[in-house]
Amino acid sequence: MTSQSTESDGSKASASDSDPRPVTFRIARFTPRPQSERPARINPFAKSNPFAAAGSRRARGRRWTQEYTIRIAPQHTVLDALLQIKREADPTLNFRYSCGHGMCGSDAVLINGRPDLLCAATIADCLSASKTMLNAYASPGVAAGNPQVQQPSVFRRTGTAAAVTGVSSSAAHSNSDTEPSATNHSEASDPTDPSVPIEATGLTKTPDYAETSVVEIRPLPGFTPLRDLIVDTDAMFEQIRRFKPYLLHDDPSADSGQSHRESDQRQTHDSQLDPLAKAKAANTEPASEYKQTPEELARYELLSTCIACGLCQGACPIYAGGEAFAGPAAMIAAARFINDSRDSHRQERLEAIDQVDGIQACQSIRACTRPCPRGIDVGEEMWKLVEAVKE
Amino acid sequence: MNALILQQLTLTFRTAKGESWRQRTIAEDHAMTGNHPGFGVVMKCITHEPGVAWVTSQGGDLTVGGYLAARDPPDDLIHLLGEGKFGHKIYSARVSRHEPEGPPLSTGCDSINGMNPQKVRSRYDAVIVGAGAAGLSTALGLYRALESDGNRNDSSPKVLVVSKLQPLRSHTGSAEGGIAASLGNQEKDDWHWHYYDTIKGSDWLADQDAVRILAEQAPGIIIELEHDGVAFSRTEDRHIAQRKFGGHTADYGGHPVRRAAYAADRIGHQILHALWQQCLRLGVEFAEEWYVTDLVVDPPADEETGGHARGLIVLDTHAGKLQAIQADNIVLCTGGAGRLFHTTSNSWDLTGDGMALALQAGLQLEDVEFIQFHPTGLGHTGILLSEASRAEGGVLRNSQGRAFMQDYAPGHGDLAARDVVSRSIMAEIDAGRGVADPSDPDGPHDCVWLDMTGIDGQRMTALLPQVTETIHRYAHLDPTVDMVPVKPTAHYTMGGIPITDRGRVYRWQNGHRRIVDGLFAAGECSCVSVHGANRLGGNSLLDACLFGTRTGQTIAAAMTKADEPNDTTDTSPLTQALQKRQAFLDELLAGASNGESSEPALADDQDEASDSDDDATLNNPYALMGRLGRLMEEAVAVRCDQGSIEKGLRGLDQLETDAKQLHAHSETAVLNQEVTAIMEVDNLLTLARAVLNASLQRQESRGALYRSDYPQRDDEHYLAHTMIDAKEDVSWQPVHIVDMPPKGRNY
Repeated sequence: MTSQSTESDGSKASASDSDPRPVTFRIARFTPRPQSERPARINPFAKSNPFAAAGSRRARGRRWTQEYTIRIAPQHTVLDALLQIKREADPTLNFRYSCGHGMCGSDAVLINGRPDLLCAATIADCLSASKTMLNAYASPGVAAGNPQVQQPSVFRRTGTAAAVTGVSSSAAHSNSDTEPSATNHSEASDPTDPSVPIEATGLTKTPDYAETSVVEIRPLPGFTPLRDLIVDTDAMFEQIRRFKPYLLHDDPSADSGQSHRESDQRQTHDSQLDPLAKAKAANTEPASEYKQTPEELARYELLSTCIACGLCQGACPIYAGGEAFAGPAAMIAAARFINDSRDSHRQERLEAIDQVDGIQACQSIRACTRPCPRGIDVGEEMWKLVEAVKE
Repeated sequence: MNALILQQLTLTFRTAKGESWRQRTIAEDHAMTGNHPGFGVVMKCITHEPGVAWVTSQGGDLTVGGYLAARDPPDDLIHLLGEGKFGHKIYSARVSRHEPEGPPLSTGCDSINGMNPQKVRSRYDAVIVGAGAAGLSTALGLYRALESDGNRNDSSPKVLVVSKLQPLRSHTGSAEGGIAASLGNQEKDDWHWHYYDTIKGSDWLADQDAVRILAEQAPGIIIELEHDGVAFSRTEDRHIAQRKFGGHTADYGGHPVRRAAYAADRIGHQILHALWQQCLRLGVEFAEEWYVTDLVVDPPADEETGGHARGLIVLDTHAGKLQAIQADNIVLCTGGAGRLFHTTSNSWDLTGDGMALALQAGLQLEDVEFIQFHPTGLGHTGILLSEASRAEGGVLRNSQGRAFMQDYAPGHGDLAARDVVSRSIMAEIDAGRGVADPSDPDGPHDCVWLDMTGIDGQRMTALLPQVTETIHRYAHLDPTVDMVPVKPTAHYTMGGIPITDRGRVYRWQNGHRRIVDGLFAAGECSCVSVHGANRLGGNSLLDACLFGTRTGQTIAAAMTKADEPNDTTDTSPLTQALQKRQAFLDELLAGASNGESSEPALADDQDEASDSDDDATLNNPYALMGRLGRLMEEAVAVRCDQGSIEKGLRGLDQLETDAKQLHAHSETAVLNQEVTAIMEVDNLLTLARAVLNASLQRQESRGALYRSDYPQRDDEHYLAHTMIDAKEDVSWQPVHIVDMPPKGRNY
């Protein structure tokens, strides 16, 4: 976690395997232009066909790809590496991180084309996994190929600069003259650039991350980048919120014979703020927990461990592809309460998600399962929701 | 983030198959919703900057609504799901925009808006800083108390929760083991025993009236949390399951008792999420990723009063803009300060902001020299391995394989209080019986083994999934067969902002508590004090939830009473603070353009960069934080003496000099993490000085503070709370002894 401990961490692997070695981090960067500098935009009324300028209007600011080569042992995490870069090379690199051990869900990004947490991915993982990546993700990418969705798939790999530059869009890189000297590869390799309609052929061949020891890091797809690797998560939380992600237990008599909340409120009202009196009252008429068996708990326990990191959203071709879909994270949040025996609104919850942009939008691609850091089989849970809704 | 309200936009709709499309231009002049005659739609459109839009539209010949995909990178082409003339289809829409003149219009807080307020009011009834267990509990306590008050005004309370992280990112979510309460679900328990254990654990430095509240009301808090949705582990008879936890005993120091209610080993995650969920239910308003830079407190008018909190200066990190917020009630719930140390279980965000704000506002901190080191941090990462790992059967062993805790704490063994275990580990290491981290066999022998091989594999997976996963992932070991290297890791600050048991912040002046009007605190950043010199496991979540709730209730009561509009105070102190902070921010950002370019050209010597920890190479807050962590570790971690503390203070002088030179390396204020980090470093340095000076003043060993030059507890002189301010003035506040006179503390 603390990457100052570089020298002393390691794995059980042989010494040579755990020795620090040079690794290049190729990071998609973006600095938004300050609002005050933004000129007034074009007059919409003047545009007879707003589609004409497709791709010309992007988030305003400067985009570039920057490479950093540092020495780091392969058993360290990518977060360790980025923190080392912040400390030693470039304090302007921005990315979210907090707990450093996979609990807070802050640091979801795209690493070598794969949605992952910075603190969960080790350097060794990144360098070895890149070879197997394509098989794992190519199919979902293709499945996302709704012709109207001009976004390239999340999983579409670039790096094959030739394939990309062949269809390059000059507008996308109008700022390239301001890019720092650090970039030494084609700036056109922006795999998620919507203005670059990458063909599916881009999927077939990947570059050789393993040989060159390059780790490519980009913002999580499906989310708007705000600065460097920091994305806007509001949309995800709005969708989670939409399905009332909180326990609604209507029938207290079933358990304790008395509404805890009502009694609580009465007491608060009566004794205003005397917690001792409240506690005494509670002692005479003890409120009780809602009862639940270990088996009932097991039906939603894993679902309740979701940390809302958004990896499943970034992996979902429907969501990240830009379809109208609340997204797997919102579905999991809903499922957590649908399966909680204490909740009284299972039926309403099922109805709420049974919408065109709810569970109906899921095409059972199951790309959402693989990246889940909590081990939730998101795809399977989504399928269970589909079935539950049918009933 | 701030949503930018469009004043004009053009929407062009067409079906997914491109059958047809039509254009709508809506001029929005005063509000987000409303009928727009001539267009036949009711429309709401909010766009985030850059590029996300929310649109709902109904009526006319088209109904669209719902989610518009966020773009990477954003584009103006958006997809709407909706129903129109052309059937139930996915429509595409293109948004063209006009930038509004002047400030964005406000729609108030509408559920369709982003997670952040559309417009920050300049004045709130209450502002809660921090959104972990304490902050969210305060919000819930406040809302629920107002709800239950039949006479409350129909206007909803103006309450804002400001947090530097999205609430679910709070470090509460990393708490693993349990939350203590004498529910007695699995064996007989009594809150009096919990009361006693907590006081004994505190080494008799806790205020007993506060501990009494903690122990007595704990069961009610657990029930409330369960009703809020916490997925507690269950007994076969459907009750909340409980496990043993260090220092919790039956019958006043008898055998260990099952008192910690748990949810596998992720109780913190469960509590954090449940509290957040309930806040959503009640419509609590959040301002996420806002950083509070200043707390403005009027100085006391005389010796009888404690002053009055006026407001806050906050940095909206998304906009990169500062703002003054006036608030009748301010609650600091910012958590701990583990980042004072290099090896810590705390997240990178626990930089003691609230405590430093209090110091900088001229207030005192209480008992800050007491910092708990959790005995079982994983290897050199500091990541916490829950006490549950020992509660479920894990044993600490030295290099000879001996389960040494039986030597130090007979009868309690591996479940003795945390400070005892941490010191015992250090004693073993000092005696040459430590082990090296297997990943670095040639490194220092500064760990001991945690032996979990005696725990059945299935049981381990069921009860300690988080611990097991952490060991797998970060040590590459299998705890069912491998011994795991552990060492003490900075875990919890027992001290903090002094509060009454109602959550009110006070000054200790001439032997009296003088309330600071309008200022509250709860959770780890506060000091009630229920933890005294050492906190028992399972009591921190309890403290945060219980005293957070009480604080919310206190504020609700104050709000209902205070019908008369708050005195029209002079807001000039707030304005001045804003100007001062703005100048500071401008200077930081100006440094970027003066000095190095915003993106420093990477030098050729990158290969050497990784081991160039000699600091001077690049003066940035991240490197400085690392230096501070090492300094504090040498000065006061687990043990200290006058020499180590004074050396630390001298080192701090140098760090403070270097900190004054810090500036940003990018001039863009938006989401400039380095700017925040510079202010965090300032906070850490402020706090570090207080910690070192308080440690120096307390010439005894008690609880988590072990001074090797004063190894004994000294009740005659130091049965008192340290009250220290930024001027390093120390005064002593007597401990509230109610029921239990100080005794020896043997584990």
